[in-house]
Amino acid sequence: MASDATHAAMSLHDHLPLLQVVVPMLAAPVCGIIGSRRLSWPLAFAASLTASIISVFLLLDTLDGSIISYHIGGWAPPLGIEYRIDAANAFVLFLVSIISSVVLLYARTYVGEVISASKHVLFYACYLLCLSGLLGVAATGDAFNTFVFLEISSLSTYVLIALGAERDKRALTSAFDYLVMGTIGATFFVIGIGFLYMATGTLNMVDISERIADMPDNRTVRAAFAFIVVGMGLKVAIYPLHLWLPGAYTHAPSVVTAFLAATSTKVAVYVLLRFMFSVFQPGFVFETYTLEFIILPFAILAMFAASIVAAFQTNLKRLLAYSSIAQIGYMLLGISMISKTGLTATVIHLFNHGITKGTLFMAVGAYVLQTGNSFFDRLEGLGKSMPWTSAAFVVGGLSLIGVPGTAGFISKWVLVQAALEKGWWVVALLIVASSLLAVIYVWKAVEVLYMRELPEGSTHVEAPLSLLVPMWMLAIASIYFGIDTSLTLSAAQTAAENLFLGL
Amino acid sequence: MANKKKENPESFPWLGRKLLWVDKPGSPLKLVWILAIVCILLGLADFTYNKYGHFSFENVPAFYGIFGFIAFSCVIFGAKALRFLIKRPENFYSPNVVDAEEYPPEELEKVSHDDA
Amino acid sequence: MMMPDQFPPAFVFFVGAIALLLAPQGHARSALTLIIPIIAASILWNMEPGIYDRVEFLGITLELTRVDKLSTVFGLIFCLAAFLGNLFAWHVKDTIQQVAALLYAGSAIGAVFAGDLVTLFIYWEGTAIASVFLIWARRTEGAYHTGLRYLIIQIGSGVILLAGIVLLYRETGSLAFEKMTLGTLATWLIFLAFGIKCAFPLLHNWLQDSYPAATVTGTVILSAFTTKLAVYALARGFPGTELLIYIGAVMTVFPVFFAEIENDLRRVLAYSLNNQLGFMVVGVGIGTEMSLNGTASHAFAHILYKALLFMSVGAVLFRTGTSKASELGGLYRTMPLTTVFCLVGAASISAFPLFSGFVTKSLVLDATAENHYLIVWFMLVFASAGVLSHSGIKIPFFTFFAHDSGKRPKEAPTHMLLAMGATAFLCIFIGVFPEPLYSILPYDVEYHPYTTSHVVGQLQLLLFALLAFCFLMRTGIHPPEIRAINLDSDWIYRRLLPSWISAISVAINAIWSKNLGFWTRKVDALIVRLHKSHGPEGRIAQVWPTGSMVLWIAVLLGATLLVNFV
Repeated sequence: MASDATHAAMSLHDHLPLLQVVVPMLAAPVCGIIGSRRLSWPLAFAASLTASIISVFLLLDTLDGSIISYHIGGWAPPLGIEYRIDAANAFVLFLVSIISSVVLLYARTYVGEVISASKHVLFYACYLLCLSGLLGVAATGDAFNTFVFLEISSLSTYVLIALGAERDKRALTSAFDYLVMGTIGATFFVIGIGFLYMATGTLNMVDISERIADMPDNRTVRAAFAFIVVGMGLKVAIYPLHLWLPGAYTHAPSVVTAFLAATSTKVAVYVLLRFMFSVFQPGFVFETYTLEFIILPFAILAMFAASIVAAFQTNLKRLLAYSSIAQIGYMLLGISMISKTGLTATVIHLFNHGITKGTLFMAVGAYVLQTGNSFFDRLEGLGKSMPWTSAAFVVGGLSLIGVPGTAGFISKWVLVQAALEKGWWVVALLIVASSLLAVIYVWKAVEVLYMRELPEGSTHVEAPLSLLVPMWMLAIASIYFGIDTSLTLSAAQTAAENLFLGL
Repeated sequence: MANKKKENPESFPWLGRKLLWVDKPGSPLKLVWILAIVCILLGLADFTYNKYGHFSFENVPAFYGIFGFIAFSCVIFGAKALRFLIKRPENFYSPNVVDAEEYPPEELEKVSHDDA
Repeated sequence: MMMPDQFPPAFVFFVGAIALLLAPQGHARSALTLIIPIIAASILWNMEPGIYDRVEFLGITLELTRVDKLSTVFGLIFCLAAFLGNLFAWHVKDTIQQVAALLYAGSAIGAVFAGDLVTLFIYWEGTAIASVFLIWARRTEGAYHTGLRYLIIQIGSGVILLAGIVLLYRETGSLAFEKMTLGTLATWLIFLAFGIKCAFPLLHNWLQDSYPAATVTGTVILSAFTTKLAVYALARGFPGTELLIYIGAVMTVFPVFFAEIENDLRRVLAYSLNNQLGFMVVGVGIGTEMSLNGTASHAFAHILYKALLFMSVGAVLFRTGTSKASELGGLYRTMPLTTVFCLVGAASISAFPLFSGFVTKSLVLDATAENHYLIVWFMLVFASAGVLSHSGIKIPFFTFFAHDSGKRPKEAPTHMLLAMGATAFLCIFIGVFPEPLYSILPYDVEYHPYTTSHVVGQLQLLLFALLAFCFLMRTGIHPPEIRAINLDSDWIYRRLLPSWISAISVAINAIWSKNLGFWTRKVDALIVRLHKSHGPEGRIAQVWPTGSMVLWIAVLLGATLLVNFV
């Protein structure tokens, strides 16, 4: 531990872990204080772009498996708060900040059209807060700090979802539902952390991990684990705890949905990983049991039940929301395997699914903007009048199914490999079978877009370039990362190795 | 047929005109007789050379001919029986099949001979 | 990824498909669809035997191009079929059909040259996905549903194949596509996947269901690739598997009866295709050099004459709007050239001496006899007479002769005549000069089809059968052509199972709604109690999820704690 590493000559580069979080966090109040509708977007975008650049640096620094430990204000842990960056959270930081920047590109036009001018400043301030919250959750090495950032991101998320109310009043009830449930989840989480503090007397993750290593039989520790898993499970939207997700995703403005779907559940999955593998050890018998008897069955249940529900939806946005729940099943499945390959699959799917869902929700946003809503009967024949949007949707859809040559294929491939490595070939077959369900629901959308005739007198035109460009950036990314896997796979592997060693 | 409007066979293509012979009264019967004679000759041909089949019964004169006649009849009778069992109206599976649909005309070039 | 040391012929088609999109619509595109197979064939012709294009992908080595005599002969006929089919489709302006035809042919050729099972699987699914567009291109509701059924079965075959591959990899650690022996679950799954695509009895319905539903030109293309790819896969993976002999024999016999009473001539041809596949499967099952040669050569000849028959019926459909025997008849008057080409195709499939079927089918028949499969041999000879009944007589007779339907369509357009003429020429050429075909077969086997006993025997079989036809026709025993469809085993999944499922689902629904009602009331009551302090309830629908979610959290927490503490 480099706690005595010189405080003297720290360059800007050494402060990157802090800047990663602080830049968007400071930009948010600045945005609010200036209060200028014109300036808020450039400010938000600049902050997000800075965060992206920082995340690239951090990722490059950690790809070799090294760990950056940053002590805020020079206070060494356990007293001070520590930011710990390794390949796993650098990868998540990278995903979150990149997606955020691309979504902001998209937001400029979208927000202008959908949200009334008086609320633009509010939107961008909340967006920045949410971003900084998510980045903070990923960057911090302090258990209580995780909770704080989680609440920052959650509270701003509730506001962002509620902003959908201008077009769709149900956004209010959805946001309220999410607020109630999210708060319960966060409460459970903080109770869990409280138990841990009770048992160990520290909040630093590394310290906790060291101190509980020799008390696996401690009932407080076990209860802490249960509370943390269930509390975070709600944020992750583990299958029976997913009820907040469809409503929130469906009724929020599409730009918010694109951002949340690509990042927020992913960050929650990361927290789960961090607690399961770095704080608690997979060697603990109770953890193995939980993974095997709770997480695994519910993951498989999610893969099927949510996919089937998705296949019956008549609203494209809701369909994609349920598909997200199913995809989270794959990530949890990877975790429950407790193997290096399984973790690699989870981490890489986290990234690949993030860019895939980003593409899809952006495409849906464009449909909503041009036609008013995302019910299938409004989308008939749009493949002809909105060819670029629809083509991006198809690319995203293929990646969602896991067609070779797309990012989605890589993650499923690694996941199947992990299952086979464990000898769980039934699970491997289930993964393939559930992909068939994805074929069904993606096909349903494609059929509506391409096979139906455009209604008489329809005047829908292609979405403006400012929406198409970010959409296609992610669409191309989901093809690129399906072909060149050197970055994603190596990052995921390093992350998995670090996690598996319990670092 | 119903639309017996006056038709000019001279307008048919050359080969088509020549083939009209088969529809002349008596022609089909002639063809059958010719076929029958050829068959008899083929049957007799079996006596003129040494057969070497893989199975002994192949050496029975006109074995293949008899087998062919019987096999063909079996096919026809079998098929008739089968039709009795499995025949259904054309729209049985409608609308999920093409059987009861018209072929979309825009894909075709339905040109009649006279129009050309 | 490294540079390919041999440009894979399949990629010619894929690059060509992209080029096609960029080319201006019209003759330039049509010409491009003809040039692509020629380029591919010339590359293919010049490839030396060996394994090329090894690509590392996710830790496994793919062998994109494995060249030997077996794959070359299938590759060549696929290129030829693509060329002839595209010539026949010169008039088509539909980009979807043109691209689909190229991708389909490319996938089939790629699959034939696949050196490992993963590559095979990828192309296997490729053929399924590309080909379905030839059915959907008809753009009717019936075609849409038929296409979906076709796609589900084809993709299903691919999924079964993948499962088999995965299991095999676990057992043997090898992904090479080599000869396998039935026995383990893995090999059975792969066998089943091949069998579905090869239209084994009871797995055959997709073929008769879908081919008549494709477009005029689509059916010609469809008829060439999918099933012959499956025959190739069987010849590569399961030569000498005795089970195949019996499967093949049944396959030759049962479609004969169905074909005889079918009204849609394209479906008649689909049944007849099924019957011809049987001969090839028997050849694979026997597994001697001679019989495998028979399979390869019969596939080669079969693709040509079957395409020719589909072309001639397609030309009639193109001009009259129907391919139903009951609506046709007497067309020889104004379509004499099509008539002649159809007769050539009919003679070839019936294996008249001097036509292609004769010189290829006899290899399989002789191999059966040489290995003393007496009953199988009888079935094959019986089926040979049966082929005459539907493909040899029914197709040309009821379309172009028989009673005059009064239809006087114009002769087929020039490019169709050219395509049919070229195919007919090849059918006769192979029949008269079989040596060039024999020389590209997988094994060097000396074989002489034109022996006196062989020629006389075959002529007896066919002409006596013809005599029987005349006799039955004149006595009125021969079944007339009527507008109707016939059930096949697909009735099970199209009628029986759906009716059961709907009955079961009605029952389940009833139970479920009762149950749900009970539990919903319970949960509602619980929530009302829990949330009394939360002020006036909104609409119950909005509170319900929140409340039930809380319940779920409690349940899950309880379960987790239980697991942790036990």
